Amino acid sequence: MNVFINSTGHYLPGEPIDNDNIERILGLVNGKPSRLKSKILQANGIRTRHYAIDESHTTTISNAQMAAQAGEDCLAKVGFNKRKLGMLSAATSQGDFVLPGFGSMVQAELQLPDIELQTSHGICSSSMMALKTAYTFLKSGEHDSALVIASELSSRLFKASRYEAASNVVDFNAEFLRWMLSDGAGALLLETQPRKNSLRIDWIRGFSHADAYPVCMTVGQPRTGSAQKSWQDYPTYAEAEADGALLIRQDVRLLDNIVKLGVDGYLRLMDEKQLNVNDIDHVLCHYSSDHFRSKIFDMLDHAGMMIPEERWYTNLYERGNTGCASIFIMLDEFLRTQTYHPGEKILCMVPESGRFNNVYMQLTVVES
Amino acid sequence: MNGRKKLSSLLAQQCLQQLMRIWFEFERDLGRVPIIARLENGQFTADDYRNLLLHLRQQVIEGGRWITRCASSFEREYVDVRNVVIQHAKDEHQDYRVLEADFIAAGGQSEQLNQQGRNLGTEALHAFLMYRASKPNPVDLIGAMWMIEGLGQKMAANWAERVDEVMGTETKCTTFMHYHAENDDNHIDKLYEIMDRVCQTEQDAAAICKTARVVGRLYALQLEEIDHD
Repeated sequence: MNVFINSTGHYLPGEPIDNDNIERILGLVNGKPSRLKSKILQANGIRTRHYAIDESHTTTISNAQMAAQAGEDCLAKVGFNKRKLGMLSAATSQGDFVLPGFGSMVQAELQLPDIELQTSHGICSSSMMALKTAYTFLKSGEHDSALVIASELSSRLFKASRYEAASNVVDFNAEFLRWMLSDGAGALLLETQPRKNSLRIDWIRGFSHADAYPVCMTVGQPRTGSAQKSWQDYPTYAEAEADGALLIRQDVRLLDNIVKLGVDGYLRLMDEKQLNVNDIDHVLCHYSSDHFRSKIFDMLDHAGMMIPEERWYTNLYERGNTGCASIFIMLDEFLRTQTYHPGEKILCMVPESGRFNNVYMQLTVVES
Repeated sequence: MNGRKKLSSLLAQQCLQQLMRIWFEFERDLGRVPIIARLENGQFTADDYRNLLLHLRQQVIEGGRWITRCASSFEREYVDVRNVVIQHAKDEHQDYRVLEADFIAAGGQSEQLNQQGRNLGTEALHAFLMYRASKPNPVDLIGAMWMIEGLGQKMAANWAERVDEVMGTETKCTTFMHYHAENDDNHIDKLYEIMDRVCQTEQDAAAICKTARVVGRLYALQLEEIDHD
């Protein structure tokens, strides 16, 4: 059974925020402008992004609501009747609540009756895990349709007050993501029958390497002390926060592994004959930062397996890095703004640095 | 990797792609070796570092031997390759002295250096490399050099700084690890340049990859043995 992406949708909250206005929204930590900001922004190349919080740090739209907006946008484009939907597969790094699962909250927002529900938890690759689950459900004949939604509201983690509450333990690794991540949601409609303009999913394949690498991106782990200690091990949540255990951190020294593992997966897929680089017409890669784009290109190029640069599309620089939502937001904008033809192949790649999970997908443009 | 010319033969390119995969897999294997996992998790101690140097020392000493043996096994038609390998051997055959100085600076005792023999992994690695190096025209050892040079880069890029955090930079006991950065980059460039030359048949490519795999496995065994000693 074939599975097709028959519609896409997105939601980006509020107006685009340029680099000069980031701290106006997120706030100045202890009243002082960041000294790292320009360096990190220069490396990631992001020029504008969206936030679901305002200058007073009021949340303007919840994560589940953003997910629902993207879902509505996706269904409306093809006039899909919500009551016919078989499955909702939702992904986020952090829902509005710790519990219940994010999917339940999104289902309620969307008012979807009697669906099969799936929530995928993780960081950037959680959207691809949610997509693969829906894809295999449809492929096995369990359902005829599924809505896959990925949404992120990370700006809540970046409010100045969060850093002030942990003022003795804010280091480079804790500040790094403040200038990288932003908010948004993307959605895909999967069906077993193609519509007029569809993308057939040829394959989806993930390779996770958590067994061989330490955690690289965390929320809930303190900076110092035992690597096993969790935010939940503190007597009170206030103590966990004061110890910096609720800050989102990236161990930047481990980041280069993501490039190597990304290329490794690419080589594996070539060896398994799933991927033929000469067949690929468009590449959509969720690299978190421009810095990694050139490193990926160098490595692919020198091993003689580069897909020409003009075939690579991204909207990272204008829409920001929206974590797991990025790849869906990118695919949605690609389909709306770029030129592509029936028979062309699209390679999507999501290398995640959380604990190194890389997911790849090949799509073929079909017209019926 | 900037600025390197592309490999001209498809075979050499495919061999390089395989070598990259073997290297990435080896890096994952290293991450599973207890002493390296401690290093990467921030649980590494000064004792760990001294132990690591003690166990690496034998392999570094033997390294000079297999590379010179390898050079002498290349016959006249491989004189250009021999030339590269001789240069490589010349650069590295006294590296162990730098390592020994680091060990002393890290608080180790000089008598320990002589007491520590090869561990099981080092025995196997050394024996394998000497065996291969004794064969005529051992092009497959390019695979071994790929792994060993990659390790040098990895030490400089990933390990040295972490060790410095444990030992304190003022001790100046990570010269060996740091110093590989410049030299090994140069060596990798040279290896890259001779890939087209040494990888002329599918058998060459297979032998290069096999040797790279064996070296990776035995090197990991050598590091695993540190915790078994």
